[in-house]
Amino acid sequence: MADAGARHWSAYREFWRLNFLTLMEYKVNFFIWLAFTIVYHGVALGAIWIMMSRFPSMNGWHWQQVFFLYALYMLGHTLNNTFFFTIGEVPDLVREGRFDRLLVRPLDPLFQVLSQPGQIWPDELVIALIVFILAQGAVHLQWSSSTVVLLVLATLGGAYIDFAIQLIIATLSFWVVRLDALRWVVMSLENDFTRYPLSIYNRAVRIMLAYVFPFAFMNYFPATVLLHKSAEVGYTFNPQLGWLTPVVGAVWFAAAYSFWRLGLNKYQGTGS
Amino acid sequence: MAAAINMIIQASHLTKQFKSVRRKEGVLGTLATLFSHDYEFKDAVTDVSFDLEPGELVGYIGPNGAGKSTTIKMLTGILVPTSGHCTVNGIVPWQDRQANGRGIGVVFGQRTQLYWDLPLVESFRLLKAIYGVSQASYDRHLKKFSELLGLDEFMRTPVRQLSLGQRMRGDFAAAMMHEPAVVFLDEPTIGLDVVAKEAIRNFIASVNKERGTTFILTTHDLNDVEKLCARIILIDHGRKLYDGSIDAIKKRYGPNRLLTADFLTDAAGVDIRMPGVAVLERDGQRIRLEFERERVRADELIVALSRQADLKDVTIAEPELETIIRQIYERGLDRSGPAPQ
Amino acid sequence: MNLAPYAEFAKRAFSREATYRAEVFTRVGSVLLRVFLLSTLWTALYRNNGAKQGISLESMITYATLALLLDLIYGVNGAYVIRQKIREGSIAIDFMRPISVPLYVFADTVGQTGFALVQIVPALVLSFPLLGLMHAHVGGPSGGIAALGFVASVALGFLLNFLIDLIMATATFWTMEIFGIQIMVQFISSLLSGSLVPLYFFPNGLQKIAFALPFAGLYNAPLSIYIGKWQGRDIALGLGEQALWLALIWFAAMAFWRRGERRVVVQGG
Repeated sequence: MADAGARHWSAYREFWRLNFLTLMEYKVNFFIWLAFTIVYHGVALGAIWIMMSRFPSMNGWHWQQVFFLYALYMLGHTLNNTFFFTIGEVPDLVREGRFDRLLVRPLDPLFQVLSQPGQIWPDELVIALIVFILAQGAVHLQWSSSTVVLLVLATLGGAYIDFAIQLIIATLSFWVVRLDALRWVVMSLENDFTRYPLSIYNRAVRIMLAYVFPFAFMNYFPATVLLHKSAEVGYTFNPQLGWLTPVVGAVWFAAAYSFWRLGLNKYQGTGS
Repeated sequence: MAAAINMIIQASHLTKQFKSVRRKEGVLGTLATLFSHDYEFKDAVTDVSFDLEPGELVGYIGPNGAGKSTTIKMLTGILVPTSGHCTVNGIVPWQDRQANGRGIGVVFGQRTQLYWDLPLVESFRLLKAIYGVSQASYDRHLKKFSELLGLDEFMRTPVRQLSLGQRMRGDFAAAMMHEPAVVFLDEPTIGLDVVAKEAIRNFIASVNKERGTTFILTTHDLNDVEKLCARIILIDHGRKLYDGSIDAIKKRYGPNRLLTADFLTDAAGVDIRMPGVAVLERDGQRIRLEFERERVRADELIVALSRQADLKDVTIAEPELETIIRQIYERGLDRSGPAPQ
Repeated sequence: MNLAPYAEFAKRAFSREATYRAEVFTRVGSVLLRVFLLSTLWTALYRNNGAKQGISLESMITYATLALLLDLIYGVNGAYVIRQKIREGSIAIDFMRPISVPLYVFADTVGQTGFALVQIVPALVLSFPLLGLMHAHVGGPSGGIAALGFVASVALGFLLNFLIDLIMATATFWTMEIFGIQIMVQFISSLLSGSLVPLYFFPNGLQKIAFALPFAGLYNAPLSIYIGKWQGRDIALGLGEQALWLALIWFAAMAFWRRGERRVVVQGG
């Protein structure tokens, strides 16, 4: 098995090298995608700004804090995008029959999906860091060793929560040919509802975002710890919940991975 | 089963059934299909068994939809059979896919495994890492493949700029980089020109001879099979029809040879009355005959012809495999030729 | 001109879409779920702040629901196939056929949109009663004229959206790297068309810019008519403005297409 581990590791290094070469091949594309990323988050932040200008009261959260909420979400989300972005290609791989190739190679199929040379570069992660630096200044974040630990845990755990949800959607493509609609609803859940504090929503939405699609652990719960928001109007929860992000990430990833194994068996059973 | 231990591929009673929704025609039918629970079952492969010895080069042939690809997908571990069993290199492919992957090579003619945007050599380097090929073997293989396939001239060209023939040559080298004991070729020469086909056939023959690599070749192009394979397995509607040598199938189902004779004078008066010989066509100074190989000796026939008029030239042709196979598909195995004596 | 083949193309596109049957259910289901989620979002925002810019919570929920359904119509990008055709070089073959490529693509878009309607109608029929459980006065148009005006405005918006997509796809004649730019335009459009947030909530300066751009014809115009934000003369003016943009973009798209076509014919792709 040590041999298998070595092969996976050297294949992964080779993948990042090829990634870089592909990037050099398409320098113009890199700048287009960079602009794309900036516009994407710019539009999201713009929409938040517009909303905050008309709806300034968010259950006691002022605009700097809502901005911080988005910045925290960005950290986990972009970390996931940087390392696991190609999980979104699974439906295409399955539909076009290219997934077959991954099954005849001596590497784990999920590993191979995640190491498809593409044009991935940590540009989005860098933008997220810049936004975060601005946001922590805006809320006068009090830095201490526990702040650092919490931020690291929230970012890593957040990336795994994000990835686990993507993995579940990707796995569904072993059964369902087109998943655009489902992807669309999960994306909107993630995009629309991580932007505002969880406490403004009704009970059903809070339960959904905390326990079903646990996006609230990506930003809301850690933010309440960091911003000392333990007492929310109309919503009571254990104020230490923000520390649990990595646990939630691990549990969700484990569940998603089991589901993936199940889907893989199904794929081998029916073929395409 | 002591003898079977030597077999590199063993397939016994492989069967694969697919389930799908029955579709209806038209706009209303399309809408009705949305709510349908009307499934149909399709038997893609039924009870197929065969064994391969190491170093064999076998043509796995059949018409479109005969179940060739499904069989290959089961042997490569992509699909799990509905029933039946198989081992490749002693491994059950779908049970230990990673171990299986190390011992096999696969070329899908219509789907490249090369990285589109990068020079060919970069794909090789990635494969070297994936299969854990040592630097020494990698260098040796690359040198060898470059010679056999002429890769040098486009080694540094991005794959998207390669011609189909060049790309296929790259794909072959990619599939052999880790010295697999068994290689599956699924329509490897589809769409290629004569030169590229020839290069690839020579490559297969040479690797087979030098390394003893086992090849299973599925193809439409029976010229590939005729040039490369000693043995063929013929399937139709998911069932095995024939498994044996090409010579035997020719003898059995293509008992007639063709003779074309050109005379110095008009051939209208030439008349051959021998048992087992039939005149197919007369055209000026040319006459075309068909004769049974078991009953008529070619030299006797030529002597008989030369007695009637002055011969200029004679050619004798074996029946084409393609013709024989087509007859088998059309008429079925039993009625395609005489029963063996 | 013989339009029969185009009708056939449209029908074929309809059937092709319908093969993905699981998606119809997930899509209707996802629309319902999103409708519910968005209504809770706006309810939360209104509960904390009260009504804004003369738009009641009920009107806002109606607006957001219809915007979601319009997403399904505008989300059809039939012109996208042009990009693939140019990439693969098969566009040259299409030019040899006695068929207009933009019209073919339009027919395909109509067929796909027809299938989008198959999803929209049940989503609509289910979502307003669902919302009605939580809020009175959600759903209906503000009047008969508003309903007619809405339909007319959506039709104009559909054509406008198709032409914008066509222009994007036509740019592929010059550069393959158009995909990123196309999505960027979509994002900017999602903000400036009023699909995410009604333009009435925009700060003044940005609002003026958004109203002056053609994107406002996609969501803002039909939805303003539907919820009664525009009445009488405003409806006529709004529709007129949409038509004017449509004419302008039509000329631009056709001119652009002819130049692209000539590029292929002259340079052989």
